[in-house]
Amino acid sequence: MEKKIYLYGFIPTEELERTALPEHEGFDEKEKLISIQVDSITAIVSRLDPDAYTEMVIEDKINNDLEWLQKKAYHHHEVLMFLNKNYTVVPLSFCTIYNNQDSLIETASSQAHELEDSFAEIGGKEEWNLKIYYDEEKVKRLVTENNPVMQKKREEIKELSPGRQFFERKKIDRMAEKEMDKELNERCNEIHLELSGLATRSDVKKTLGKDATGRKDNMSWNSVFLLQESEVDRFVEKVMKKDQQLNGSGLKMEATGPWPAYHFSNLSKAAK
Amino acid sequence: MPTVRETIQDKEVGLIDVLDVILDKGVAIRGDLIISIAGVDLVYLDLRVLISSVETLIQAYEKNDREITSEQFDQERRAIEDATGNSGKWRD
Repeated sequence: MEKKIYLYGFIPTEELERTALPEHEGFDEKEKLISIQVDSITAIVSRLDPDAYTEMVIEDKINNDLEWLQKKAYHHHEVLMFLNKNYTVVPLSFCTIYNNQDSLIETASSQAHELEDSFAEIGGKEEWNLKIYYDEEKVKRLVTENNPVMQKKREEIKELSPGRQFFERKKIDRMAEKEMDKELNERCNEIHLELSGLATRSDVKKTLGKDATGRKDNMSWNSVFLLQESEVDRFVEKVMKKDQQLNGSGLKMEATGPWPAYHFSNLSKAAK
Repeated sequence: MPTVRETIQDKEVGLIDVLDVILDKGVAIRGDLIISIAGVDLVYLDLRVLISSVETLIQAYEKNDREITSEQFDQERRAIEDATGNSGKWRD
């Protein structure tokens, strides 16, 4: 039976002619990375045994085998980081698999124009991610302390019976939470706008819960920037400076990058 | 001395950062098998308590080994009864 094809990403063929693809382990340990040329575009792939990698098997592994997920996610990441360092690469999502080589070639040919456009758009640029985290207790306390209305309310309820006090305090807590959300949103938005000024493109992504991050603090902002290589130093310095300014406010900024342009080489819009 | 940028670049990224990116909505070109697989939403992964590092993964396994059995529960309950002077108050 024909082997399946795990697709990592696409690179311009001419770049591969300049720097050859080194030997590297594939998605399955027994296989190696290989390139499949489709005219001016080259797909970086590795072959998979069709019986060992059925849709059902992979889905089951992703859902029930965290160790496998971790290992394979890092493998995918590692290969793409390497490609990103050496070539202009349009990265594909984790576990993009074709049933056979013909199927891949057909897709690549039909998307050739979009891929060329993508190469042009992301070439010479870097994708960076910025996450902002906050210490809930601290931010809430600061918000309350700096809010005269809430301060006054706190004083007022001291006169009430313990039962009433309990309910009034709950109300103030809810108010504090609302104020905190507002404050976080304003601050993060402000930071985002300022950093977006340095970027070619920027986007706000969904935040992740504590369950996912495994951290004690909460995520209040998750964003992604496409930067000209020449702007990256300025971007990183600005993030550091802003983070220092936030010292004591309960907010913390964390930038990671450069990532392969997963976010900004998205062709799905064009593909539709 | 490494620049600030190099320090950030060389920093190890956690699994969640990797997943956040490699499962990004950016499915550039659909593969034949990508459908439900790469469509795994991180919000859905949240529910399964995703680990951010190998250490937490190991801790999680250790915790699973220590699932509470009814024998353990009875044993611990008896110990509490003894300690509070209520020995034999509840049956196993």
